[in-house]
Amino acid sequence: MTFSWKRVNAILQKDFKDFSRNSAVSIIIFLPIILAAIYGRMGIDSLQVHFMTINMAFAMVGTYVQCCLIAEEKEKNTLRGLMLSPASTLEILGGKSLLTFVLTIVVVFFSAYLSEYRPASMGIVAFAIILSTLFYIGMGTLLGLVAKSVMESSVIVLPVIGVFTMGSFITAWTEKYPILKVAEFLPNIQLFELAEAVEQGAGFVQVFSELGIIGIWIVVIFALTVVVYRKRMVD
Amino acid sequence: MENAIEVKGLAKYFANFKAIEGVDFEVKKGEIFGFLGPSGSGKTTTIKILTGQLDPTEGEAFVFGENVSHLKNPKARKRFGVLTDNSGLYGRLTIYENLKLYCELYDLPLSKIDEAIGFVNLKEESKKKVATLSKGMTQRVVLARAILHEPELLFLDEPTSALDPVNTLHIYEGLRALNKKGTTIFLTTHDMQEADTLCNRVAFLNKGKIRLLDQPNKLKKQYADATITVELTNDEKRQLRRDAAGAEEMYQLMKDNRVVTVHSNEPTLGDIFVKVTGGELV
Repeated sequence: MTFSWKRVNAILQKDFKDFSRNSAVSIIIFLPIILAAIYGRMGIDSLQVHFMTINMAFAMVGTYVQCCLIAEEKEKNTLRGLMLSPASTLEILGGKSLLTFVLTIVVVFFSAYLSEYRPASMGIVAFAIILSTLFYIGMGTLLGLVAKSVMESSVIVLPVIGVFTMGSFITAWTEKYPILKVAEFLPNIQLFELAEAVEQGAGFVQVFSELGIIGIWIVVIFALTVVVYRKRMVD
Repeated sequence: MENAIEVKGLAKYFANFKAIEGVDFEVKKGEIFGFLGPSGSGKTTTIKILTGQLDPTEGEAFVFGENVSHLKNPKARKRFGVLTDNSGLYGRLTIYENLKLYCELYDLPLSKIDEAIGFVNLKEESKKKVATLSKGMTQRVVLARAILHEPELLFLDEPTSALDPVNTLHIYEGLRALNKKGTTIFLTTHDMQEADTLCNRVAFLNKGKIRLLDQPNKLKKQYADATITVELTNDEKRQLRRDAAGAEEMYQLMKDNRVVTVHSNEPTLGDIFVKVTGGELV
């Protein structure tokens, strides 16, 4: 497989220009930051609330924005143009994900800063956040490839935003509904458990299983994305 | 001469619908080959198979001697350019920005953008956003993108369908110039005049099957009836057979100074298509 940074950078630059002129989608990135600022000013200092805003940043920017960008490429047939160019699958998907990756990290950083979340170990939480960002972008890419239009993409992404933003609250019902124990393996729950462990002084070794589960989600979501992308290459 | 395209027994079925069936043809390097037929005859399906966007149900297709399945390899895609009716341009970006993206994807110097924009006569509009362009201008930008890297093989799906006559002629000149430089052109159209003007050979496609394939001139001679039309000074039009009796009548008319114009009765490609397929070119 070929890989050229020049081609990835060309797609990134094009996405940046296109995104900055698309106010309908670009305005979304401010929502998690505004919510975090409100919580911060209200003086709420609960790990669950901090991660609600962080998960919202993941879902709204990493997944929703990415989903809309990919679905628009499909709807306007521009993805077909990229597929017929010499750019490889890795270059196209990499280039298409880089802008959302940077935006997600920036929005998560500002959300955490404004809600005054100061983790006990910045290194571990930052690493877990970078891993989680990859998962949410993979999810956005997959949904964007599955959706037939931008309109459809904003509908199919809603349950994802619901589950991954509010997912932490699902675990409260696991005693009444044991089937919901499955939700404990969701990447957002794993990230929250990791953050809780870090606050209690856990190091990299103690949170390895949480990082591993998030890693498995990333592998699964990207494998699915590549399969669907390759199918989309052929009408 | 080596073949740029070779197609053997090609078929594509969508459920029970046979889009193309038993299609055989070859396109020589340096040729302008016209694939003619009405809407729904299978022209776009064939282009999609030849550019690796569709897998054939049966048969084989080769581009530059390689099976089209190899076109999934990004390097192989550098050798051809495609213009389809789906624009595939970024509406919020300018013409220049759209072409810059492709310049960088093909690893070309940015000077190629001006060449391509000049080719399609859009130099003054290069800073306009694509979303604000007319359909004809958009079509020209898509063409500029397809020829940006001076491909060895150019697939054009109805390239002038949205253009006015002046720009159509400008594009024809450009395509001939590209062809002179060595680009093989595979052109699909339902405009028989366009095919007659540009193509070295044409294939008539109807209901997914090739009905006729040859040089436009040969086809016109083959299907011409043996008459000429003579317009006389009294506005009368007389059909004369091209035989001894016709020659004698012509001699007499000329001797009497009654002949204004003389036309051979060659059919157009459109006439031949209708005669061969029994269908209309819509």
